[in-house]
Amino acid sequence: MNIHEYQAKQLFKAHGVPVPGGGAATTEREARALVQEHGPDVVIKAQVHAGGRGKGRVVKRDRASRMYNDLTREPERSEGQISGRRRGGVRLASGVEEALKEFRPMMDTDSRLVSIQTGPDGAPISAALIEQQTSIAKEYYFSIQVDGANGQPLIVASAEGGQSIEEVNKTNPRAVLRVPVDPVEGFPAFRGRSLASQLGLPSSAIRPAGDMFANLYRVFSEMDASLVEVNPFVLTTEGTVVAIDGKVGLDDNASFRHGGYEEWRDRSQENATEIEAEEANIGSYIKLDGNIGCVVNGAGLAMATMDTLMLHGGEPANFLDIGTVNRKDRVIEALRIIVNDPDVKTIFINIFGGLARVDIVAEGVVDAVKELNIKQPLVVRLNGSNVEEGRRVLHDSGIDIQTADELGDAAELAVEAAKSGKRRTRATN
Amino acid sequence: MSILLNNRTRLLIQGLGNEGQNQIRRSLDYGTKVVAGVHPGFRGGETFAYGNHTFPVYATVTEAVEKTQANCSIIYVPAPGAADAILENIAAEVPLIVCITEGVPVHDMIRVRTALADSKSKLIGPNCPGIIQPASNCRVGIHPPDVFMAGNVGVVSRSGTLVYEAVDQLTRAGIGQSTCVGVGGDPIIGEQQQAILRRFQNDPDTDAVVLIGEIGGLAEQAAAAYIKRSMTKPVVAFIAGATAPPGRRMGHAGAIIEGEAGTAEAKLAALEAAGAVISRSPAEIGSTMRRVLEEAGKYQSPGAAE
Repeated sequence: MNIHEYQAKQLFKAHGVPVPGGGAATTEREARALVQEHGPDVVIKAQVHAGGRGKGRVVKRDRASRMYNDLTREPERSEGQISGRRRGGVRLASGVEEALKEFRPMMDTDSRLVSIQTGPDGAPISAALIEQQTSIAKEYYFSIQVDGANGQPLIVASAEGGQSIEEVNKTNPRAVLRVPVDPVEGFPAFRGRSLASQLGLPSSAIRPAGDMFANLYRVFSEMDASLVEVNPFVLTTEGTVVAIDGKVGLDDNASFRHGGYEEWRDRSQENATEIEAEEANIGSYIKLDGNIGCVVNGAGLAMATMDTLMLHGGEPANFLDIGTVNRKDRVIEALRIIVNDPDVKTIFINIFGGLARVDIVAEGVVDAVKELNIKQPLVVRLNGSNVEEGRRVLHDSGIDIQTADELGDAAELAVEAAKSGKRRTRATN
Repeated sequence: MSILLNNRTRLLIQGLGNEGQNQIRRSLDYGTKVVAGVHPGFRGGETFAYGNHTFPVYATVTEAVEKTQANCSIIYVPAPGAADAILENIAAEVPLIVCITEGVPVHDMIRVRTALADSKSKLIGPNCPGIIQPASNCRVGIHPPDVFMAGNVGVVSRSGTLVYEAVDQLTRAGIGQSTCVGVGGDPIIGEQQQAILRRFQNDPDTDAVVLIGEIGGLAEQAAAAYIKRSMTKPVVAFIAGATAPPGRRMGHAGAIIEGEAGTAEAKLAALEAAGAVISRSPAEIGSTMRRVLEEAGKYQSPGAAE
């Protein structure tokens, strides 16, 4: 789960990580107060979960998709055009009036921030972070993530900050430091000072930087974070360090020990259908561009099902991992989400039961066809636990379903149905 | 010989909730030797009975191992307590621990991996279907038993349902399996693909291996490096998620594309360069393996495998 930059900075501040003075505003009154307290020279940053904000644009909702096309087609050219009515998601201002001029269009309810990462709908802007400007001597990169292969936290740092670390890694890999963390020891300040010195920070900044790194590690560890990234933290002209950006990803699996992360969550940044799927206890749902609605169990099989459809010339409308199905209402909820997607021309159900019992899935499908009045062609492939009973349930129901025993055959039927928009008469099973 | 399990495997089940009970019944039906259960609130002396089978249930793993000489544990404990259960098994020096549980916090797994490093235990999972070995009727997991058949091909996969899919195709193609291992879909797991490949390479009962990976992480590159360096047995590989849009998490916590190394293309290229035979379509894993076995003169027609 992602959180906003202003929330990441609240966490940083609470753990003793230096951040610029400021805070989040959603009303003009709040904005004015923040500029008066921390100004006059401020930076105003649109709060959305997507990245690429600085090079993105704040636009009216109805222009979002055109802007997205421009940004994705010619990212280089549009970068040089931040002027006039085109506004980016990160703006500088001096004084209350200028700041409000930047603030208002961001917080207009009709505004969207569009960047190459938001998709054509853009992202609604949840708040504006207003902070005092920092006098920067040099920018650095710092992050903590989980290194799956070694089963340890990994710190990545670089004196080449403020740009994409992937880019730095490609062009100048020696500028990227990797420090594995012993989870028993954690990352005490002395390790932080050693890293600060490796990064070439001046002697005045070694101690504050060492403390900052150690405190960022505490954020990572105490919050059950999957990622803590500061790009950049800066050396100020006064010779100390400040985290002027902040990104924190929280591990959804650990939400049970953090009250569900409710205080950090912002549902307005999430896809409505994906929230609906979550509330119906469906493992995972992601909307895609095609027209074949997929209901599959297991993330691996769900991806493989999409792969098979595409190899047969079809396009999946979604990724849906239904999770373990032991109640038929979950099948109905999954199909409700699929049926409500106007792009779906054909429905493809592919369940290989292990923990899940496919006879329950079959009962759910039969009920859903009646309850949801499903009109689209339906291709069902069942295998695994209780498969004989499952196939019998489908057969005895008398409803019009195409079935196949093998994945390739089933995918072919689904692609064919999506192309013709028609059901083939019961040729199989 | 065989990998991880054999007919001397004495299974301990930890977590006898509804799902754990259902699954252990199916393992008993399959012929797996279950010697003990561990569930909080039980004391020694109570038993779990199913049909002709009974086994004692204990409060702690240490006691269960002491009394029954269990040498393998299967964990069905819900996510908040799963890491604790794994640590309990490591402390009790259980040689093989299999954890099915989905949704274990990644910071818990960091602790588990640290404890595993200086231990006598090996871990498979979490977030995995477990291990099944048809020849010894040993099912340590949640597999649908009917699709499996004894034979000479090993299967290793990050995804559970793709184990079933691949095995179903193998069995239909007349190819039995030596051992099938789902290593799990999480970012931090116990044994990874290359460790299982090494076991298969050293296993006289295995003539070829199906390797099923997916987008995200670098585990397939590590597997490819092992194949190139040490593997003489043929490997058929499939990578799920070739058509997934970049940057979106596809259900498995491990399956998020990180830069170019995480893409299916990068993984397929590494595996192909290492000499693995690539099945581009997940629907052709069985037929590809059949061709590979026939070319190697290792295809055993069904019935001859026993």
